[in-house]
Formats: sequence, structure tokens, C-alpha cells
Amino acid sequence: MYRYDAVDRLIVEERVAQYRDQTRRYLAGLIDEDAFRPLRLQNGLYIQRYAPMLRIAIPYGVLSSTQLRKLAGIARRYDRGYGHFTTRQNIQYNWVKVEEVPDILAELATVSMHSIQTSGSCVRNVTTDAFAGLAQDEIVDPRPYCELMRQWSTLHPEFAHLPRKFKVAFNGAKEDRAATSVHDLAFDLYKDEAGDVRLVVKVGGGQGRTPRLASIIKRDLHWSELLTYSEAVLRTYNKLGRRDHIFKSRIKIQVEALGAAEFGRLVDEEWEHLRNGPNTLTEDALDRVAKHFVDPPLEAWSEPPARTLPLDANFRAWKKRNVVAHRHPDYAAVTISLKREGVAPGNATSEEMEFIADLADRYSFSEIRVSYHQNLLLPHVPRARLHELHAELETRNLARANIDLASDIICCPGGDFCSLANAKSIPLSAAIAAKLAPIEEKIGAIQINVSGCINACAHHHVGHIGVLGIDKGGEDWYQVLLGGRADGAGRLGVLTGKAVRQDEVPSIIDRLARHYLAIREDGESFIATVERAGVEAFKAALDARAEIAA
Amino acid sequence: MSLIVELDADGPVVRGGAPERPPPKPAVPANDGHGDVRKKTVPVIKPPAGPSASEWEGGKYVSLQEWLDGEGDEGAILLQPADDVRALDGRIGNAALISVDFHRIGDGRGYTHAFLLRNRLNYRGRLRALGAVTADQVFAMARVGFDSFALRADQDANAALAALGTFSVPYQSAPVAGAAAARAAANSAARVRLLERALGAIAARHERAALASSLSAEDLVITDVIARLGLPIDVFTLDTGRLHEETLALIPQIEQRYGLDIAVFRPNESAVAAYVAAHGRDGFYDGVAQRKRCCAVRKVEPLARALAGRDAWISGQRREQAVTRGALAEAEHDAERNMRKYNPLADWAWADVLAYAERFDIPMNALYARGYVSIGCEPCTKAIRPGEDPRAGRWWWENQDSKECGLHTTSLTSR
Repeated sequence: MYRYDAVDRLIVEERVAQYRDQTRRYLAGLIDEDAFRPLRLQNGLYIQRYAPMLRIAIPYGVLSSTQLRKLAGIARRYDRGYGHFTTRQNIQYNWVKVEEVPDILAELATVSMHSIQTSGSCVRNVTTDAFAGLAQDEIVDPRPYCELMRQWSTLHPEFAHLPRKFKVAFNGAKEDRAATSVHDLAFDLYKDEAGDVRLVVKVGGGQGRTPRLASIIKRDLHWSELLTYSEAVLRTYNKLGRRDHIFKSRIKIQVEALGAAEFGRLVDEEWEHLRNGPNTLTEDALDRVAKHFVDPPLEAWSEPPARTLPLDANFRAWKKRNVVAHRHPDYAAVTISLKREGVAPGNATSEEMEFIADLADRYSFSEIRVSYHQNLLLPHVPRARLHELHAELETRNLARANIDLASDIICCPGGDFCSLANAKSIPLSAAIAAKLAPIEEKIGAIQINVSGCINACAHHHVGHIGVLGIDKGGEDWYQVLLGGRADGAGRLGVLTGKAVRQDEVPSIIDRLARHYLAIREDGESFIATVERAGVEAFKAALDARAEIAA
Repeated sequence: MSLIVELDADGPVVRGGAPERPPPKPAVPANDGHGDVRKKTVPVIKPPAGPSASEWEGGKYVSLQEWLDGEGDEGAILLQPADDVRALDGRIGNAALISVDFHRIGDGRGYTHAFLLRNRLNYRGRLRALGAVTADQVFAMARVGFDSFALRADQDANAALAALGTFSVPYQSAPVAGAAAARAAANSAARVRLLERALGAIAARHERAALASSLSAEDLVITDVIARLGLPIDVFTLDTGRLHEETLALIPQIEQRYGLDIAVFRPNESAVAAYVAAHGRDGFYDGVAQRKRCCAVRKVEPLARALAGRDAWISGQRREQAVTRGALAEAEHDAERNMRKYNPLADWAWADVLAYAERFDIPMNALYARGYVSIGCEPCTKAIRPGEDPRAGRWWWENQDSKECGLHTTSLTSR
């Protein structure tokens, strides 16, 4: 894991001092609301429907047990004893007080954490594959590049007032687990024939009101040019991005309007001035950061043969669903599902966080990851100890064997918390999970995403099934989308029909799932079937059912 | 003339006067939330009616287009957010001033204007930000190249001046992307700032904090910061009666250099006499127990007196010094003495200490030049060879893991 040196520490400490002073002046009436808004936003503080919300960065999803304990402590002391993990590898507290935020940030600084640029019109927390460094299909470990990007983009003086938010993601594996196709700027890392790391650069992905998949503008960027090229992209966007209309100000609008080729040409034009300049990464810089991302001292273990284990159906199901192979044959990555019955997706209590931190100390070299799917991972668990770990997780309702299943729903806080939301998302997620429970195992892998509004925090555009809450005459209504996917080149879901009321949504999804079960070929996944048969076939099935019902 | 903060060669200056401002009304933080704000969302941002200013000290501003259309070699240019700065390439002439208009805080195009003017067009003259310019923006504005800030009417010049020093180390270019030496230099500077901040925080938090100085280079680094920042932290030392004369010579030297009094605590005479009677003056060579007894009489007891009535103490210990200090925290609770104890140099390397000593030219014990690294009492300290443990020269006849005198006890760590 990356360890802060004096430079990192000082910057975060000085940031806390800066924000403490700004908060003091705001409370004294010396900074007006309008001037304070960008200051608090760039420190992660939103004002939500019922209370302020503080979003804290978990850069590229890597946490130490010490950091997780600190997050648990903050939730207990300053909030209501729980936190919400998000798709962009952040944690959110929903009930903080404006005047206590500087103290929270000071506590975070003691464990090398911050909330810098977790909201506002700036470069946001850099995200990547939660399985980075251990995935079997990994080509290049993205974490050192993420950390360099974090440092360079943090408090960048020129890019703190962009037209709109700017999200960056990295993927270094064959399977894209970082949803890079819906990021403003994204990089796929690979090795060229000489063995040098190069990057495919994609810009203009995004969701919200105008979903768009990112376009490739460069295919062979040398790793040393990561920052100079990013600077060229950001400067081009900062100059040209629209500022007259908040819905048209993301970089995707610019890329769409100009065309990716023309946008790429403008970036190249700017980049020519920056190449080989002071932001060109040296081997030293990469080594300095990369040396923190080495394997923990993994040892050879021998897994007991399955037949010697007690016949434990829960364990077998959990091992099948929640355990992923590690590059080291004697280790595995374990996902702890934060999608439990009766608990909002992605939420964990202080006690649970502390419990997981203890498990990380005992099973996983004190390391935890936060995933795009709003779950937590123990990345390096000896296979020989999986059964033991499962037994411990079971004691705390943390052993639900549902990873990638219908109940592993990505969900935003929705109308229960968010002042922007049109509709509630948490209770609907619970209803969907309950409806599909009887056929969940049969369906197998499926990604369902539920967003409470057009801002698409739950990425409904790229869910296999996406649900979007809309407001119709003051009531909660929902649209159901089908066929999206966040992996690979990405695909945007298509509307299946008119908006419906909340109580109709679970049965619509149930019918889509049952249609899949009826027409799937051997071993074919839900999304593969949708792609083969087409969304229209599923829509027709929905209509036919509706007619029968009528 | 409005209130302008400018960066001159000698440092920032304030020009012009601020208008009378009404007394501030305390804010009401929205701790109950904003409710349902959907209906309040106004997505369309109105374009500004016109430039934020029409005149500068020398007369009327000209717009970019007017400048390009005219002879274009005198006066001041006022750039708007949507202007293409590159049009000025080769056309800046003798412009006395270029100003960039910020219509609102959130419009960041002006920062890119400044970057391009400074880095692409090599403009070296006065570059002013005006319009929606608040104290909280001037740091970033200065970093992209502005050296003049016409503050918004409600702004306070002192807040802007203070904000110019917000961050000590840039997080871009050489310290992030460059060679190892660049990061090392940045780290060295950062460590000094962290030390200054830590000591400032200790002084603010405790009324009767003191530095227990052994007159080591580490303690002199801390003394230098205390004196340089004028912090209300006392400095005392323990004269065990067996120190090197080179060490003792530092006391008047430091007092003179910094104009501060170092309180000197000496051992209880009868306790020393009793020790000498029982073990002999150099009885500490006979065993760890005898040695620790000597330390107790000559150091630990005087320290207890020195700390009586205090609420915190500071030491110059470093993790790298010895195996016994490997887990040293920067702040801990000294359970034995029931007060906070701070080790603000915990993560410093010897090279950091030397770098500080050189940069600030602090007095140094003459023994360092003779191969001593960790300096205690004269009979119990010797020089070490290169590569040896830094504390190998202390009580060199004992095992590594017993090498503490009893001043620094293992204690509960908390922050």
C-alpha cells in the first residue's frame, strides 16, 4: 500500500488547516454561501435533503485496517454509526455537521486519508479495479499510475474550476472492472512488444442525462506521458467546455459536438507543447510509487481437499459466489457482500467496519479493498483458511453468498437522503431482491442498478438491468432499461417501455429474468442472452405478458 | 482604486483601499439539510452583462479585439473568459498590464489564460485577476502566474495575504513526476514545515510544554524552530555532571544565539555521593543494573524535577536511532509522568537533521565532527564507525536492547 511521505502528509495537513480557517470564516459570516459552496464541495461536503453529507476518497479503493478503523470511529463519533460505500470507491457519511467537518478531516489526515476533490467541478477521486495487483487476468498493475494521477491532480491550481466534474479511471486487466467506458478520462494499460507499459486513452464517457460511452483518442501513449497528456486533455476541456448550461458542460458533450477525432487533434496540438516538459514521468517517479505496491509476503499453503471439509452448503455457495482466484495459487480474494436483507446496499456499521478491519489483520495482511459494486474485499486470503473466515463472517451477517447475483444491486442513496433524487431507490432495491430471491441462483450472474434520479450515481445506464427514478406529478415513478454493461467497451441500456410505479418494477424485472431462463442456451449468461436475442425480443415478451395479464 | 494585492520582488504588498463593509452576520450552517431542491435547480447560467471593470490605474482597459485591431503596444488589456489568449502570441508589445476578468468563482478559464500567457507566450509583465476574486482563490491564481489580485469588494486583504502561504510544496511537476532528488528535496522542505506545524500545535494546546534538550543536534533543530517562530515552549537541559565540555559549551552559545534561557537541572548531590560511595564514580561499567542506577541518579530524577508542574514534554528522539525506538510515535501519553509527550522528529533521518543544520546554520556539538552520533555522558559515549547503529557508541559495552537511560520509557501510544 502507498505510504505517505512528508510531502503527502504536509499537503493534507495544510489542506485541513486551510479548510478549518475557511469554515471558521464562513461561520463568522466572512464568507458568503456562494463563495463557500465550491470550498466545501471540494472538501467533499454536500448539503443533502436532511443533513450535510461528507464524501471521503478511498483512492483506487485500497484501505488499510487502520484506515477502516478510523472510518468506523468517525462514523460513530460524528455520524450515526454507519457509512455508505459508493461505486466510485468513496465512503459517505450522511449526517455530519458543517462545523465538525474540519475535525473529521484532521482525524482522517492522521491515517493518510482526505476528502479533497470528492465533489465539485474538479478532477475527482481516481478509481480502478478492486482486484488490482492480484487478478489473474491483470496485464499491468494500475495502482502506481493511479497514485501518480492522484498526486498530480490533487490541488492542481489550474483545474479546480472546470466546467463540470471530471472522473478518471484506470484498467489494467483483460476484463474491465472499473467501468472505464463511462468515465470522463480513462486509461487501459497494456504492454507493447518491447515490454513497455502503454495506455489506450479514452475520453468523453459519462452517464447522467446524456449517457455516452468514452471514445478512444490515443492508442499508444507511453506511460511516461500520462501526466503531460492528461494535462493537455484537461486544458483543452477547461478552455472549450460549455459553461452556459450545467447539463451540457461535461466533457462528453464537447467530444460529441466536435467528434472524437477533432477533440483528439486539439489535445495533440496542446500536448505538443507539453511533451518532455516538467510533468513527464521519470523512472524514479514510477519506482518511488511502485515500490509500495508489491505483494505482501505470500506463503505456500495447502488447501485441504474439499471432501475433508464438513458438508456446509452455505460455505460452498459462498465459496462459489464470493471467492475469486488470486494470482498466487494458494490465496484467494474474498468479497464481503454489503447487500444484505434489510440493509441499504453499500452500507456498513461502525461495528462491522471494525470487525472487517480485524479480519483483514488476521486473514489478509491488513488490507481491504472497496469495489465498484459497493462491496468490500479481503484481497489476500489463504485458501486454507477460507472456511474459518466464512464461519467468522456468518456470525455478523456478512457472509451473504450473492456476489454478481440479482440481489447484489448497485444502488444510490436515493430519495431517502439525497436532495436531488426524484425517487427512492433503497426500498425498491430491497423489493427487487425479494422478488427475484426464488430464482436468483437459477439466473446466475446479472447486474441490476437502481438510481433515484437522472444523475445516475448507481450507473443505471450500464446495468444489465437499470432502473431510473423519475418524478411524475410529485410521485415516484421508474423507467426500466435493459442491456447495458460496464465492462469491455461498455454498452448503454435501452428503455423497455413507459415509466411505471414502484410496485410494478420488481415484477417487470422478474419477467425479464424469466424470459431469459426460458430462452437461454446452455451456459449462456443473462447479458449474453440479451445481446444475442436483442432487447426487442425481451420487450415483446414483456408486452405479451402484459396482454395476458390484461 | 479597488483593493489590490500584488506580488512584488520583495514580497506581497497591498495597494488601494477597501470600501467600508457592513459587519458580518454569522452564517447558519445547513445542518438540517436543504430539503428537496429539485425545483430550485436552475441549470442555465446567465452570461455576464459586461466586463467587471473598465479602467485600471493608467486609464481605460482595451479588450483583446481592440488590442489586436489597434497599434497594440501600450496600455492594458482586459481578457474575458471566452477569449483565445493565443491570439496575443507575438502581439503583447509593451502592454503595461494584462488583466483577466473572472465573472464568477466557478469559471476557471482565467487560470488557463494565465498559464498560457506565462508559459506559452512568455509574458513577464504584471498579470492581474479581477472580478470574482476572493481570498480563497489567490493561492491557486498565484501558482498559475497571476501576480496581482484585484479583490472583490467584500474581501479582506489580510485574509488574502495569509492565503498566499496556504501550501508549502507544489503537488505537480518535479516533486511528483521528476527525479528522486526532486522529491527528496521537497520532502526535506516538507519535514521542516511539518515540524513547525507540530510545535505550533503543541504550543497552542499546552500552557507549560517544555523541550527536554540533551543539546543533541536533534534538540537543537527543535530549539531553532521554537526560537525562530517565537513559540512559548521552555527549553531545559540536564547537566549530569559527567557531560563532555564540548556539550556544556553549547549552553551559553545557544542562549546567546537565540536570546533564550535554558534552565539547567543538576543531580541531587547527596544522591550522587551515595552512588559513588556504593559503586564508585565509574561503577556503571560493572553491569546494567549499576549503570541504570547511575542514570537514575544523574538523569531520571533531575528530569522528574524539570517536568514537575508541566503538561507536556518534547524530545528529539528518532525512530531510526535504535531498535528500542523503532515504533516511536509522534505523540504519545507518558504514563509514568501522566502527561503528553511529543517526538516531532520521529520520522526524521540523520540526513534530515544535517540538512536542517546546514540550511539554518544552527550551533552543533563539536563532537559530531569527531565521529560521535548519539551523545550522552562523557564516560558512556564514544565515536562510532560508519555503518554502525547510531546509538552503538552509547554504553557500548551493553546489549543493543537495553540502551535507554530511563528518560524515555515505553508508554501507551495515542494520538
